[in-house]
Amino acid sequence: MESAPIYLDHAATTPLDPRVVDAMCDCLRDPALQGNPASTHAPGRMAAARVEIARAQVARLIGAPPESIVFTSGATESVSLAILGAARAAGTGLRHVVTSVIEHRCGIDACRQLEREGFKVSWLKPGADGRIDPELVAGAMRPDTALVSVMHANNETGVQNDIQQIGRLCRDRGVTFHVDAAQSAGKLPVDVGEIGVALLSYCAHKLGGPKGVGALYVQRRPRPALQPLQFGGGQEGGLRAGTLPTHQLVGFGVACELARTLLSRESPRIRTLRERLWAGLQPAAPVARNGAAEPSVPGILNVRFPGIEGESLLLALDGRLAVSSGSACSAASAEPSHVLRALGLSDLAAQASLRLSLGRQTTEGEIDRAARLLVDCVRRLRGALPAGAVERIA
Amino acid sequence: MGATMAYSPLVRELFDGLPRSGELAPGTGQLVHGEAMALDRGAWVRLEARIDEGRIADCAFRAWGCPHTLAAAALVASQLPAQRVDAVPATDARSLAAELDAPPEKLGRLLVVEDALHALLERAHALQFP
Repeated sequence: MESAPIYLDHAATTPLDPRVVDAMCDCLRDPALQGNPASTHAPGRMAAARVEIARAQVARLIGAPPESIVFTSGATESVSLAILGAARAAGTGLRHVVTSVIEHRCGIDACRQLEREGFKVSWLKPGADGRIDPELVAGAMRPDTALVSVMHANNETGVQNDIQQIGRLCRDRGVTFHVDAAQSAGKLPVDVGEIGVALLSYCAHKLGGPKGVGALYVQRRPRPALQPLQFGGGQEGGLRAGTLPTHQLVGFGVACELARTLLSRESPRIRTLRERLWAGLQPAAPVARNGAAEPSVPGILNVRFPGIEGESLLLALDGRLAVSSGSACSAASAEPSHVLRALGLSDLAAQASLRLSLGRQTTEGEIDRAARLLVDCVRRLRGALPAGAVERIA
Repeated sequence: MGATMAYSPLVRELFDGLPRSGELAPGTGQLVHGEAMALDRGAWVRLEARIDEGRIADCAFRAWGCPHTLAAAALVASQLPAQRVDAVPATDARSLAAELDAPPEKLGRLLVVEDALHALLERAHALQFP
């Protein structure tokens, strides 16, 4: 029987934690929890009570009060609501947004939409280490800046931005600050009070929870103005209309609770495994790391193998190792990653890159096997290269 | 992000084995090579052949590119041995695409394989008919 591939794509999504599955199944099976949480009758109130338990768990992960959490369908919706909602609600005279070119596609596309609506957007570039310099943020802010939106940790390189410093700059100038924490929540300590952030997006499926559910933290005092993106029953304080999916939220809550309690143990373990993987790849030299090793989320290692064509490497690994290539998030597109290009990599170097992302289920044995497999595949493909290809395609 | 393209069994077989990749072993006859490179299209192919008494005695390839490019280079290198230099059956990007069941977007890369083959055969002809 063919064995399952080693899964090193936790930055794309994580496997459901069995305890999350149990909690969700219990919820789905419990006749007392089948009411609409917005209904005022007893079954509705039962479901609503369960939702509020989940809200408290989700809030606790980021040190927030439960009433500051708005449930959404995932990080993409949270980021869209934060960026579009805050900019559109900022009022006349505030028509400028600061963000970076290495944001997740959802943040970039939301800002592009604002440009179509007449907003001016300052697009900040990272240094060679993959970080956004807070001084660049300070320099980009203007009297008419409505919003600053910067990701906490990059989804491709794992490199961490100094959001505390950026938060201070925003607070000093009275500018709303949004952080995309989809890759960092549950992987790094996140405390919204310490950061001084007004809006923070995260989701369940990056930390062992189900797909299709996320959250937007909205600071209580001062509360940033937000315009909703969808309309209907007035749920979530009128910011996100739609019936709340009780079982999804239960799963999200349990996933957050697990991530919070396991963080101090898992974060160093996964970081150690990542460095073991990096060391294990050295026999495939030349091999280079994309972005700074630290500060970063523990589980992401982005590497490039000069002379290697990305599609060929993925096929060589097919069925044995599940990873992401240096191409765009959209599998239909072979466009090189906008993040790696922003770091100064050529298209060919970006396509010779892989994102290897580890998670709670990753073991030392898997890391050693993955490293051996990658080294073998890279050597095999390099063995067929024309002379000079490694130097030329780097 | 991922390898979602479908590959034909022949592409998988050639890609997995990469038959005739590398350099030719020493032997009788004369060595010629043909090379084509289009990094912007994602392919770089070098074919090498040993010509002995008007025939292609042996052939090898080196290539950088996608699985279809590597498979096409391996296919061409496998089909050339024992052919007379002046009677090599016509092979072009379209015929390679048909044989490998490659999608249309790979034609540009297969053209690089075709160019490398033409360059090889031109040199082999020049050797036979100086």
